Amino acid sequence: MLNNKNIVIGIAGSGGDGVISAGEILVNAASSEGLFVFMLKSFGAQIRGGESSVRVRISDLPVQTQGDRIDILVVLSWSNFMRFKAEMQLEERLVIVSDSDDPMPDDEVPLTETQREFWYKVPFGKLAEEHTGSRLAKNIVMLGAITELFSLPKEALQKSIKKTFRNKGDEVIASNFKAIRAGEDFVKEQIVKIDPLRLDYEPRPPRLVMQGNEAIALGAIYAGLDFYAGYPITPSTEIMEWIARYLPQKEGVSLQMEDELASINAVLGASFAGKKAMTATSGPGISLMNEGIGLASMAELPAVIVNVQRGGPSTGLPTKTEQADLMQAIWGSHGDSPRVVIAPCDVEDCFDCTVLAFYISEKYQLPVIILSDQFIGHRKESINPESIGGGASGFRKVYRRDTPSEEDLKDYRRYKITENGVSPMSYPGIKGGEYLGSGIEHNEKGDPRGDVATHAKMTEKRWKKLDHFKEEFQFERFYGPQDAKLGVIAWGSTKGAVKEAVNKANAMGMSVSAMIPQLILPFLVEPFKEFIRNKNRVIIPEMSYVGQFRRYLRGFVRFGRYGVKVIPFTKAGGAPFMVEEILNKIIEEWKDMEARR
Amino acid sequence: MSEAMKAADYKSELKPIWCPGCGDFGFLNAMLKAMEELQLQPENTALCSGIGCSSRLPGYIKAYSFNGIHGRVLPFATGVKMSRPETTVIAVGGDGDGYSIGAGHIGHAARKNIDITYVVLDNNIYGLTKGQASPTTPLGVKTKTTYYGNMGTTLNPVRMLIAYKASFVARTFSGDPKHVQKMLVEAIQHPGFSFIEVLSPCVTFRGSDQFKLIREKVVYLDDDRDLSDEVKAFDIANDEDKLTLGVIYKQIRPTYGDVIRHNVIERARAASNGTPDIDALLKQFQP
Repeated sequence: MLNNKNIVIGIAGSGGDGVISAGEILVNAASSEGLFVFMLKSFGAQIRGGESSVRVRISDLPVQTQGDRIDILVVLSWSNFMRFKAEMQLEERLVIVSDSDDPMPDDEVPLTETQREFWYKVPFGKLAEEHTGSRLAKNIVMLGAITELFSLPKEALQKSIKKTFRNKGDEVIASNFKAIRAGEDFVKEQIVKIDPLRLDYEPRPPRLVMQGNEAIALGAIYAGLDFYAGYPITPSTEIMEWIARYLPQKEGVSLQMEDELASINAVLGASFAGKKAMTATSGPGISLMNEGIGLASMAELPAVIVNVQRGGPSTGLPTKTEQADLMQAIWGSHGDSPRVVIAPCDVEDCFDCTVLAFYISEKYQLPVIILSDQFIGHRKESINPESIGGGASGFRKVYRRDTPSEEDLKDYRRYKITENGVSPMSYPGIKGGEYLGSGIEHNEKGDPRGDVATHAKMTEKRWKKLDHFKEEFQFERFYGPQDAKLGVIAWGSTKGAVKEAVNKANAMGMSVSAMIPQLILPFLVEPFKEFIRNKNRVIIPEMSYVGQFRRYLRGFVRFGRYGVKVIPFTKAGGAPFMVEEILNKIIEEWKDMEARR
Repeated sequence: MSEAMKAADYKSELKPIWCPGCGDFGFLNAMLKAMEELQLQPENTALCSGIGCSSRLPGYIKAYSFNGIHGRVLPFATGVKMSRPETTVIAVGGDGDGYSIGAGHIGHAARKNIDITYVVLDNNIYGLTKGQASPTTPLGVKTKTTYYGNMGTTLNPVRMLIAYKASFVARTFSGDPKHVQKMLVEAIQHPGFSFIEVLSPCVTFRGSDQFKLIREKVVYLDDDRDLSDEVKAFDIANDEDKLTLGVIYKQIRPTYGDVIRHNVIERARAASNGTPDIDALLKQFQP
């Protein structure tokens, strides 16, 4: 449905067409006008070359998702578009902008009659060559053309180009300006606009543009990260790349290790040495780290471990998203291994969750897993600058680890049993605080002990830490009217589609509410009980074929006892939920509930 | 300045679980003496280990000790050293922990020249699990998991470490604690990754004649040669008829800590003009 306040642009081309950089320039231009932006990239399997596509949603109003359908399809090469056709859901009332010189005959282009009605052709490559001497700038010609066609922010586009090419010299910038102009002029002179689409917006102060992975890296530095050790793995690598560049500016150390086994153990070494330490990986890496995560539980070492989930099992879908590492995060290590699992639900939340993860892990001396996913990690969103850094909305507390007092050091017991399970933790440099830390069961002093009574006592001590922090934080998000009879419970990146769907459903006259928990483990049952108390049905959408989240919830929440029917809504990952998918499910359940009244 | 520390002062309250006659006792005593000789401060010393008989050693010494998981002592020690460079870090473990499950880490700690000392107490067997073959178990030896005799060529750890560019490679024998102490002192003082292969017999699973058999093959090296001559070092390592004890290879090159400090942190800080605050970091996300 064409809507001038909110448009979704899909761009497809070959790897060398500059599709991704065009998308980024566009996103920056829109964000500098204060527009709300959401961008997703998609690549073929090739490392260089091949095909790529990008989807940019630009809106005058806040957005939660990438937008279900593409309003404007920009094609730099039809043959490359073909590879993405399945994942580029197109509006039936579509506007197409393509290269006039594309070798594919018009009648072979796989679109419907209606979709072909608004079809503009611009010789992107030819214009680039004529005006800049090289076909390379055809993506910029394209940006000039679509800016003119759809009233996208024109001055902001120039500003964005200037910033993108600032390190390449004035000549390159001037040449790209020529390319924009060539696109604009061609549209003005040669094209008669017949579609009604024009972006309509109020300019506002600029917004920041950030990826989920960057927000995690930034959150870690905000929280006082001292040490990072990791091993590259898609889709988490940007976290390490960012930290490797910026952590040394704060005199921190970032190490690329030989594998994930080394990464987690180096992190634990740094933590033992009294430093705030983190690693980030994806599912396969977590599989390797699980023994080390258990060591962190046992030796009571704070550590933050990020899992940017991808499709699995095994190598699975490295560049696509899924929510199927949930049980692994909760129960991944052998033994009863206390840890905390937190799931961010969007880019801004990645920052908050990371600050929170460090707070919890340093205060309670245990591993905290941040369960993000490719959909959040790789997307770009526009962020309110106020909400990060000095902002007030999210969790911003930074914790300094408790060290032993003089009294503690008189007869130092590293694993002293205390009321909340947390014991004073020393580190090298503190005289009198020497102790043996270990993965083997130990007594309060740290001496290895294999007896049943010690194991029982110390296991309880380690788990007790999870009982004591629920009062400290607010972990849930709620949308829609609380008294609704129909509910949705989802976690992580599914939030976006759920929130938009719930808002739409309520606008359509239904009454639906949603709950998105940020804390996965420990499981705080009360807010769930409260949420389902007056519900008849609860839909649980998740990108896990077997419904890991639903199974997990059912272990704690007795839906049946409250007379609540659970509606599983699962799918294997790859593509994130569309708003429409969730909305249709809501409508289906709503109608059924009405019919049975 | 506090009073000088004596070897006995470095002993923890824990009693070793090792079998009577274990080679590791000799090493432990030599270690305590080396600590005395170097006057290491317990609060500034970290002793790390993985799993195995010898990996119990950190618990017997008063220091910041850590007994982690099987095979991961080197990454753990790397984390300690790289985040707290003022600490003297000693990693210790056995042949199973180091040359089998943890073998993938040795090359990287060595090539990066992490400024730690890595001691392998090599008894040619898995002792803690009661007698299975390790990478250094001799060819043909019958163990509980090699019922028909051990197959596969025996690993030569010294040659491996020279090939990996460890900047200090020595071999010693726990039956000669004075020599162990000498090697430890040199290794701990060496700036960079120092490796000591300690022949430390398991009398329980390799037989009570192990000390005697090793003594027969032992030859002592003097330092009267160019220690950085890699070819010569390989020659010594390759002579498997003898067990040559002493410093086999030594090279001085920048440690990873130095490199990170000078080539990474200083450059990063020059680029950022000191420590950036969050607002400065946020600038790059401005459109």
